[in-house]
Amino acid sequence: MTDVILSVEGLKKSYDDVIAVDGLDFSIEAGQCFGLLGPNGAGKTTTLQMLEGMESPTSGTVTYRGGPLPQDYQERIGIQFQATALQDFLTPFDNLKLFSRFYDDPIPMDTLIEKFRLSEFLHRDARRLSGGQRQRLLLAMALVHNPEIVFLDEPTTGLDPRSRRDLWEVVRDLKNEGRTLILTTHYMEEAEILCDELVILSHGKTLLEGTPRALIEAAGVENLDALFLNLTGEHLVKTEEVIS
Amino acid sequence: MRALKRSLRRTGAIFHARNLEYLRDRASFGWNLLFPVLIVLALSIVFSGPPRALFSVTVIGDGMAPELVEFPGVERIDANQDRALARLSRQQTDLVVEASETAVQYWVNGNSASGALLELLLKYTESRPLTRGLADGEAIRYVDWVVPGILGMNMMYSALWGVGYVVVRYRQSGYLRRLKATPLTQFEFLSAQVLSRLIVTLTASLIVFVGTHLILDYKMVGSALLLLLVALLGGLAMITLGLAIACRTESKEFADGLLNAVTFPMLLLSEVWFSLDGSPVWVQTVAACLPLTHVLDAARAVMLDNAGIPEIWPSLLILVGFCAAGMTLSIRLFKW
Repeated sequence: MTDVILSVEGLKKSYDDVIAVDGLDFSIEAGQCFGLLGPNGAGKTTTLQMLEGMESPTSGTVTYRGGPLPQDYQERIGIQFQATALQDFLTPFDNLKLFSRFYDDPIPMDTLIEKFRLSEFLHRDARRLSGGQRQRLLLAMALVHNPEIVFLDEPTTGLDPRSRRDLWEVVRDLKNEGRTLILTTHYMEEAEILCDELVILSHGKTLLEGTPRALIEAAGVENLDALFLNLTGEHLVKTEEVIS
Repeated sequence: MRALKRSLRRTGAIFHARNLEYLRDRASFGWNLLFPVLIVLALSIVFSGPPRALFSVTVIGDGMAPELVEFPGVERIDANQDRALARLSRQQTDLVVEASETAVQYWVNGNSASGALLELLLKYTESRPLTRGLADGEAIRYVDWVVPGILGMNMMYSALWGVGYVVVRYRQSGYLRRLKATPLTQFEFLSAQVLSRLIVTLTASLIVFVGTHLILDYKMVGSALLLLLVALLGGLAMITLGLAIACRTESKEFADGLLNAVTFPMLLLSEVWFSLDGSPVWVQTVAACLPLTHVLDAARAVMLDNAGIPEIWPSLLILVGFCAAGMTLSIRLFKW
């Protein structure tokens, strides 16, 4: 018997005459790392925002444990946005403290600082953090209230390989703690390493759904990028994105 | 040379992109064209007309005014009795008259030489029986008059930009969206903004008030507590106005334009730097719709005339109305 924590049915989102998400159906099991994979503009972030309750679907439904999103849904989820500005002149410590104060029972500051290795830049102006440091801080802020589900929107985009691997470690730890992780990425390696189940999107529609290994084996290709290339004639990550 | 060419190419590209962005932000673009035109128009309307007169006579009511008010060099100002006598006691006008078919009542300030001269002229030129009223009060220096204006202006800028512009910047940078993903409600967020800015505004005003008093020794004869109440309501009215402006605006440039659209009329028409006495009635009507006008009316009444609640309650009530309207609008329309 599976323990479905989130599921979507006929999910659609359009802005004026642009269809961002076009009829998605999938389920996410509790404790799973679920990946939304696709190139830029595939509809990953819009889908994520509807799962987070930040955007209303144009049609279709998002259900939490078989019912509508509960009133306290924001307290059950933690979100790491793709691009979040922090308040000017605040340090990571100030930010953690600020976000800790939004919740009744936050994780102790010391635990978060140790877990996300924030101590070396704890009192630095947040505008002066490196990409990796910033992502660790944002992840700590997303987890300050010990959420059941964590949304990670392209958490490693723009990070150097080492910072990316560091963040993967953190994500693995979160998974080992039994949290449900929902991750968007356009890095096939990241999806292969971290995700238990994934959906590959293109132009707002599902191309494929399954475990990374099953998808690769079924297609008889080397990796997800090759699979995506076979399906669409496009690479998941464009050459210029790799260079940048 | 190649490096320079590359640099020019990059500069050209970003220049072009910025121009496109600017042109496509129609609201901001339109406003940037419209605003200077509005400033020029407003200045030309307010400062149009002949040069300032030698004497000023304030006329109460619609009765047939004495011939004196038509003399060359005499400026006629119309006002109600309270305002006219307040101006006379501050020597902002030289003579106050109220005429009927059969008699003329006039008031003069015993400390004013100009008033004495006009009184003589009136006696020689007016055939109706005259009744004399006397006002007392020293002439207020310009500094006494302008200090409340500067304090109010400071409060206006601090409140409007400190909340309005900042909220739009938060929205544009995605920070509000981040906050939306927490249990923080919009009312909590807005209240925190209001309170935080109110404390900053009041503290800054207090520092300027005390500092300038030490340097300029300006007139402050009224209750400091009442003045604090005026500042509190005035600050709240401005802050909530800033929030109402920022509640949905997404572009910092457009917010900048809107904030200028609100502050500039107040700067010009709320008697920050000069009195609007003698200006057209419609200008005074517009001024009465601006919160800063009521802040300055009440503050000057307290500081210069030792006014109490009975004298300034209409201004206080209007400021409360501005606060309620601004906050209601902000809460109803706010978008993360």
